[in-house]
Amino acid sequence: MADFSWDIRSPLDRALVAGPYGAQGEAGVSLTEIRNFDLVQVMARRGKAGETIAAAKARLGAAAPETPKAVSIADATVIWSGPDQFFVLSKGGKHSIDALASVFAGSASLSDQSHARALISISGDKARAMLAKLSSIDLHPDVFGVGAAAATSMDHTSVTLWRGDDRNGQAVFNLLVFATFAESLWHTILDSAAEHGVTIGHSEDLA
Amino acid sequence: MRIICPFCGERELGEFTYLGDAKPQRPAADAGEDAVYDYVYLRDNIAGVISEYWYHGGGCRAWLKVTRNTLTHEISAVEPAAGAGAAKVGA
Repeated sequence: MADFSWDIRSPLDRALVAGPYGAQGEAGVSLTEIRNFDLVQVMARRGKAGETIAAAKARLGAAAPETPKAVSIADATVIWSGPDQFFVLSKGGKHSIDALASVFAGSASLSDQSHARALISISGDKARAMLAKLSSIDLHPDVFGVGAAAATSMDHTSVTLWRGDDRNGQAVFNLLVFATFAESLWHTILDSAAEHGVTIGHSEDLA
Repeated sequence: MRIICPFCGERELGEFTYLGDAKPQRPAADAGEDAVYDYVYLRDNIAGVISEYWYHGGGCRAWLKVTRNTLTHEISAVEPAAGAGAAKVGA
């Protein structure tokens, strides 16, 4: 059998060029790709939604959201992704699919999405103005506050969008996109953000 | 046109895919050729209120049953279709 030497790279490895982009001066939009995370899709089996939520609460200490919300706990974020289903986003293997398999045995089906999605964190003064060009979701702070989430589309691409905790007094929008669509959406985001000036980077830390 | 998804809230039409009339029911196995032909091919062309299936593929990926007036596009009800949301619909 052939020996494979897998070189694990981000789906945005080619497209992402760290540094400034677009209009000069102070950047209005900050884009940070977050790499090397654990992402598990949890889907309750028929009639087992209650058990799934109880199992999540026992394991994570927080109720999994039953409406479009994202719940942050000490070492993970639980994000609603559809009726009776949610993502568990974490780092370092503590809540990886192997760790969660026994937790949801019998109540939910799990699917490892760690390498199937790219995670982009968007912040800055002009983050909302930029996102308004891509999304039909109302992102006004009165409507889309900290912890709000949405399964929606941007540029005809399915995404999971949620608002994380504010950083330096500014809203932070997190975006999960299918790995194979990430490069395309990334370029669309750059086009939308260019007029505001962009600062681009990548990080290993979940916000 | 916008549809108020029972799971996601109000969303633009672009997030949804249209399937069609929600009325036809699969006939019994022994129902005969005419009943199957009717089920597969024949549809009413209603000028007025119709119940139809929509798929929220650009969002929560749930199937929805939408009651819509084909003359005015007014949507009077949206509910999860059978199977959408394991806890909410038993069938």
